[in-house]
Amino acid sequence: MTDAKYIGKDLIHPRIWEKARGEALFAADLAPADCLVLKALRAGRHHAEIVSIDCAAAEKLPGVVRVFTAADIPGRNAMGIINKDHPVLAVGKVRSWGDAVALVAAETEEAAQAALRAIKVEWKELPAILDPREALAEGAAKIHAEGNLLYKRVVKRGDVDAAFAQAHHVVEKSYKTPFIEHCYMEPDAGFGYMSDDGVITIEVCTQNPHYDLGDVSAMMGLPEEKIRVIQAVTGGGFGGKLDISVQGYIALAVHHLKRPVRYFYNKEEAFLATCKRHPMWIDIKTAVDKDGKLLATKCRIIEDGGAYGSYGIAVATRAAVHATGPYDVPNTDIEALEVYTNNTFTGAMRGFGTPQIAFAYESQMDLHAQALGLDPVEIRFRNALRPGAILATGQQVEHSLGLPDCLEAVRPYYNEAVAKWAKETPSSPSRRRGVGVGAMWYGVGNTAAQNPSTAQIAIDTEGAVTVFTGCADIGQGSSLVLLQMAGEILGIHPDKLKLVSADTKFTTNAGASSASRQTYISGNAVCIATASMADMLLTRAVDRLKVAKDDLELHDFTVRQKSKPEHSISFAKLAQNLHHLGLPLTFSGFFDPVTTPLTPEDGQGVPYATYAFACQMAQVEVDVLTGEVDVKKVVAAHDVGRAISPINLAGQIAGGVAIGQGYALLEEFEMGTTESLKDYHLATTTDMPEVVPILVEAHEPSGPFGAKGIGEPSLIPTAPAIVNAIDMALGQRIYALPASLERVLEASKAAGHFDKFGG
Amino acid sequence: MSEITITLTLNGESREGRALPAQTAVSFLRDVMGQKSVKEGCGIGECGACTIIFNGKAVNSCLMPAAQLNGAVVETTEGLEKNGQPHPLQEAFVKHNAIQCGYCSPGFMMNAKALLDHSPSPSREEVTKALAGNICRCTGYQQIVDAVMDASEVMRKGAAS
Repeated sequence: MTDAKYIGKDLIHPRIWEKARGEALFAADLAPADCLVLKALRAGRHHAEIVSIDCAAAEKLPGVVRVFTAADIPGRNAMGIINKDHPVLAVGKVRSWGDAVALVAAETEEAAQAALRAIKVEWKELPAILDPREALAEGAAKIHAEGNLLYKRVVKRGDVDAAFAQAHHVVEKSYKTPFIEHCYMEPDAGFGYMSDDGVITIEVCTQNPHYDLGDVSAMMGLPEEKIRVIQAVTGGGFGGKLDISVQGYIALAVHHLKRPVRYFYNKEEAFLATCKRHPMWIDIKTAVDKDGKLLATKCRIIEDGGAYGSYGIAVATRAAVHATGPYDVPNTDIEALEVYTNNTFTGAMRGFGTPQIAFAYESQMDLHAQALGLDPVEIRFRNALRPGAILATGQQVEHSLGLPDCLEAVRPYYNEAVAKWAKETPSSPSRRRGVGVGAMWYGVGNTAAQNPSTAQIAIDTEGAVTVFTGCADIGQGSSLVLLQMAGEILGIHPDKLKLVSADTKFTTNAGASSASRQTYISGNAVCIATASMADMLLTRAVDRLKVAKDDLELHDFTVRQKSKPEHSISFAKLAQNLHHLGLPLTFSGFFDPVTTPLTPEDGQGVPYATYAFACQMAQVEVDVLTGEVDVKKVVAAHDVGRAISPINLAGQIAGGVAIGQGYALLEEFEMGTTESLKDYHLATTTDMPEVVPILVEAHEPSGPFGAKGIGEPSLIPTAPAIVNAIDMALGQRIYALPASLERVLEASKAAGHFDKFGG
Repeated sequence: MSEITITLTLNGESREGRALPAQTAVSFLRDVMGQKSVKEGCGIGECGACTIIFNGKAVNSCLMPAAQLNGAVVETTEGLEKNGQPHPLQEAFVKHNAIQCGYCSPGFMMNAKALLDHSPSPSREEVTKALAGNICRCTGYQQIVDAVMDASEVMRKGAAS
């Protein structure tokens, strides 16, 4: 489609102006000042039995309305996106510092705090296991009754031992990655009330209101019709607002007290009580032939799942499936273990295990390239997935394989940076320059699981058109993208379409705003619904205009004759006609990408219908005396299938690079150490490089207008590119993230640079 | 605890409200003055989401006692639009897609306005430095700095014409 009107154009997001005016209402802005305040008593210990809880003194304090414990939960006291192992309020024991033990409802914040202090809990401490390798040891204390290994995923194909035996070059290394906190700017917040029709209504920041609805209704033992979840304007998520945070507490209090309540986490509670990105210990062995062609990948991944499962099972599978990198590797033996510990639970965080594994496989690629004297772009180009390739899962891929194009897009920048920029004098004598690349692939949508989205589009008898989607726009821009697609099909500027989104009363399930899936999956659902409405309008217009359908087109709320545009009929008249005839005014669409489950023994199957690809290049200056890494420029080439909103894609890429850079250099969550923004360091304006986004369009046949996804791909190659650039600058590789001042300085010393400066 | 009366000039209007002695400026502005654009992010002065313009300077309102607002001239994002006309910063933030989730945006715009009010022709480096106290987790900052540069140009042209 070359003559697109709205696809590929830089349009304005439908809600950006209310944000620019400061009028966008987040959950904390919606709650009335006089509603009750909720606060949870957190465990404050890693692992302990609850001998007793005494709330009597707390409940007698002035301003305290009620203290709830697990006994007050009418339904299932368990949440968790995949496995339901996470009590809303603790029963019998706590497994991590942030576990909620009791919930206070009070008239004021101060009264709630006083009540928390007055609750008496008698504890019996249990041994804390904070390292998943210890949790796996024989005789380790059991964190959950079923044991500490939550899940094991194997992906196996070919014969790795034979391949290693014949290989020209083998590299075997270990990599380590840290806990990462999402640090969305809006701390989790929600408020709730009983509506006049007896429905518990929760307005909350969330990435998936329909998931919230299911878990809350099970928890309350109420049918879904008795709960309504409305996504408030949501201040970022990055995977951290997929799990339930305040929703269950709000429902519990509204149910018992029949009064409006609010629960706003402060930043520290958001750090303590929400999931983190998994730390991983990755042992990986890869082999290439004399031309640098990959022969085998053997990989063992241990993932710190923390105290609860959340998305952990999917993270293990996704990490295992992606462990080859975006390359054709004929022999694979990959195992990922998801392990319970007493750490803060881990789950989804922009990448679902792929940022971790990309750090490992992209470091390996550079090690092979260096050993063979190959250019790092070239070794990736030689191995890049091409049509007909068979993945480690046995899936044969044919379409939309844009890595070679991404590499070609980056290659001139890389060559120029190496030939010129890296040879120029750095900005200070103690600095050394390096250039690195990182590539990635990312399966769009949930892993080896069906994950449908649904949507509706409706026309009223005045001709107004409304798109209904359950899709939560958390700032990534899905609302704009979905309206662009509907507008393109209807010939209507997206600004003139109405949108109702992410309210379980008025919209149906679109699945999570996660796994970079909404453009592809909900986009398809919206396109299918819109196409059936367009077809109905065209069909009715045939009758009314006495013109054959193939000579008709949709244009700005009319259907008109292509060859005689003044011969037209308005949407309003057509809709009135539809109504009169008893024909539908609302049209539905659903889309569910084709996947198959993976076999348990060797992980064979079709985990994703399509994959996104990318390559980024980073130019860095490393100060050999301080360990400081200054990222000067990042060139980011991303295969998005089809660019629906280039300006939005550029925004996702620049934002992804920032989070990727934080992962590379700055960020690490440590219980007890980095529990607020004082100690958990984020990049600010002065840290950021120039980011050059490049959009590559390898058309995806099953995608809406050929589109795939961008959310997570944008950050995955950044840390590998930066680490590879540091290696070029120092001649010394970093094997554990973040490449902090201490680690880089250590590398500088090991390479002899520090001593050269008499440091 | 006895309440105190606070009189201030808020977005050009004289306003009065009652605050508790321990109340922070961010809480008073949001809950008493209805300035919901002023966001509480970290509560410890690290993220800049609560930035307001206080007597011409950008400050974190989460660290400031409400009592300090007494007699002050305060600006918030609610006051940016004048006579139905958006401020050039608002126009530029929209045009450059410098807003994703939008939670940090009011704070960034206040900080940027304080800068441009005093320094109408900042270099890109000056803008970058001036905004270093505000955190955005969505955009990577590039579009925000672009937007402020663009707004400064528009404002200069507007002042010259």
